Amino acid sequence: MTAKVLILSPSPLRNAAWRALLAGQPEVTVIGAGVNIETLAPLAAAGTPTALLADVSEGQAELARQLKASLPQAGLLFLVPAYSLGEILPLLQAGALGCVAHTASVPDLVRGLIAVSRGELFLPPAIAAQALVALARGEAPAPDLTEPLSEREAEILGLLAQGLTNKDIAQTLIVSVRTVEAHLRNLFAKLGVRSRTEAALWAVRHGYPLDDRSRR
Amino acid sequence: MSSTTIAVLGTLADFHREPIPYNLGALVQLVRRIRPDLLCLDLTPEQWRARAFADLPPEYREALLPLADQTDIVVVPIAGDCPPPEPAAPGWRGRVIRWAWSGLATLHRSAPGPAGANQGWRHEAANWLYTLIGWLAGPDLRRDWKNHIDHLTRQVLEAARRDPGCRILVAVNVRYCHHIRHALHGQPDVRLVDFSEL
Repeated sequence: MTAKVLILSPSPLRNAAWRALLAGQPEVTVIGAGVNIETLAPLAAAGTPTALLADVSEGQAELARQLKASLPQAGLLFLVPAYSLGEILPLLQAGALGCVAHTASVPDLVRGLIAVSRGELFLPPAIAAQALVALARGEAPAPDLTEPLSEREAEILGLLAQGLTNKDIAQTLIVSVRTVEAHLRNLFAKLGVRSRTEAALWAVRHGYPLDDRSRR
Repeated sequence: MSSTTIAVLGTLADFHREPIPYNLGALVQLVRRIRPDLLCLDLTPEQWRARAFADLPPEYREALLPLADQTDIVVVPIAGDCPPPEPAAPGWRGRVIRWAWSGLATLHRSAPGPAGANQGWRHEAANWLYTLIGWLAGPDLRRDWKNHIDHLTRQVLEAARRDPGCRILVAVNVRYCHHIRHALHGQPDVRLVDFSEL
């Protein structure tokens, strides 16, 4: 699946730089760039973006809320100065799916865009686990399972709760991404959740990130 | 249970860096187009976990591993801990081995593309020269090659059976691919195809 990316930065020059950087990347297509939400709207209507890269330093959480409302189909990836839980948590609560630090590599950025375009959480695993624990504290208790998980599903849920993307899970288990996606569909049905974030929160509440059996 | 499709692609190590049709760019383009689910590479699980790629051939280090990083392609490290040594022999056998290498170099450089290096008379001639090199280098090397090929094949089959129905590309040095294809042929639950059909 190719990530169809919109770029949001207040500077036209930076927008042009992002476009140039991402132009040669496989599985990423930049469909437009804008300096504010208003300029993005017509681009989004024309191109159906699956991901949005936000390179905006001020008021990120409020911006994430506005973007989530105006572009609900696009996974939001924010550039942040560093991976700090204090900065990342408000973004996730506002609807962002991931963050990439200024120190990250280009392959990291590309993997992030691909991940959020699929609705996956994209954070370094250590931060992701902490963020999920923090988010889970503020949520209502999850109901228990009515149908037991298979060994493989439990393994995948554990990795999901550690903040791994589908590709990372597939690489850890050495199976295809399509196989992981199929397991996740079954998992979502058994857990009664609609998204991987909900599934990850369910897993955190049931202690999955603390269970190291799922790591190979 | 659905059958798993496997293709074996021979690679050319340092020759890929030369200005030949089957260069690193052509290799990346080919694998990107095939877009396998799993990409079996001749590196050890330890090298993969530690991302210790410095000793790997350029087609892995500079082409296939970066491509896998940026796509959904999952890497399967299939090598054992004891890679076979490069063939060598003293005296006249050593001289014939060097002659055979130069013949292989000519064949690889003149291949018009990935298909040329992987099938047809050029591939058969190269395979014959590798067999000759194996005989000249002695029984120890032939045993090491066989053990290595057996290990690679077992790991490919294990990957195939772990994830039935997936599409697997095995990208290994062209010296091994003929033998791996032969070993995979006729295995239950796997379908061996040409890389252009994967």
